[in-house]
Amino acid sequence: MVAEDIVQDTFLSALKGLAAFKGEASEKNWLFAILRNKIADHYRGLRTEILPLENEGPEGPDGRFGEDGMWRKNRRPKPWAEPDNPMEHKEMQRMIDWCKEHLKALPKMVFILKYLEEKDSEEICKVLGIKPTNYWVLIHRARLQIRECLEKHWLKK
Amino acid sequence: MRTRLMLNCHEATFLMAKKEEGKLRLIDRLKLTFHTSMCRFCRLFQRQARQISAESRQILSDQMLSPAFKDRMEQLINDNYQG
Ligand SMILES: [Zn+2]
Repeated sequence: MVAEDIVQDTFLSALKGLAAFKGEASEKNWLFAILRNKIADHYRGLRTEILPLENEGPEGPDGRFGEDGMWRKNRRPKPWAEPDNPMEHKEMQRMIDWCKEHLKALPKMVFILKYLEEKDSEEICKVLGIKPTNYWVLIHRARLQIRECLEKHWLKK
Repeated sequence: MRTRLMLNCHEATFLMAKKEEGKLRLIDRLKLTFHTSMCRFCRLFQRQARQISAESRQILSDQMLSPAFKDRMEQLINDNYQG
């Protein structure tokens, strides 16, 4: 919630001046990198406020898995068509980029830092001011959600 | 999780992220291999998660910005952001 406020706040401010930059295909990603830093700054000062995570991850409930921890029947991964030419790879990358926008602020940060910017977990914990246990829960959740999003929107096999 | 030989799918998918970073102890690596050898859903999850990770690496590399643009944006945001 707090993070979303920062995003909105920063975006609105930035948008005032954005007209000048129209046409730069990657401006959104650059903006996002700056936003991430703003959010990281914010979280560093708020270590305790971001950790309502105890009930999630492998220790707690997740709708995808049953009581026994096995995939629920309707949530089991289904195969998708794998990209086999440069255009399809581009398209899948575009889709992942789109899917990540639907993650909540913190899993989104973690996903971007890990998979787009290829940082390792120690660095990500440091920059976001989170504990390793929370990191693994967040990255696990992000991976589950991105995969699910892709399954829903990518070509079925 | 520490004592049982059999992982469930939730634990297995959780451990895959750690394995990717080489952060898994031998015993957990063995448990994970054992689980994925028997569970085709987790096997598929692992394959798809790897694919996502490989594709994601390409996303930013195609989107390099000019330093001048970055400076302008940063200035703009710093001017407007009341942190
Ligand atoms: Zn499984």
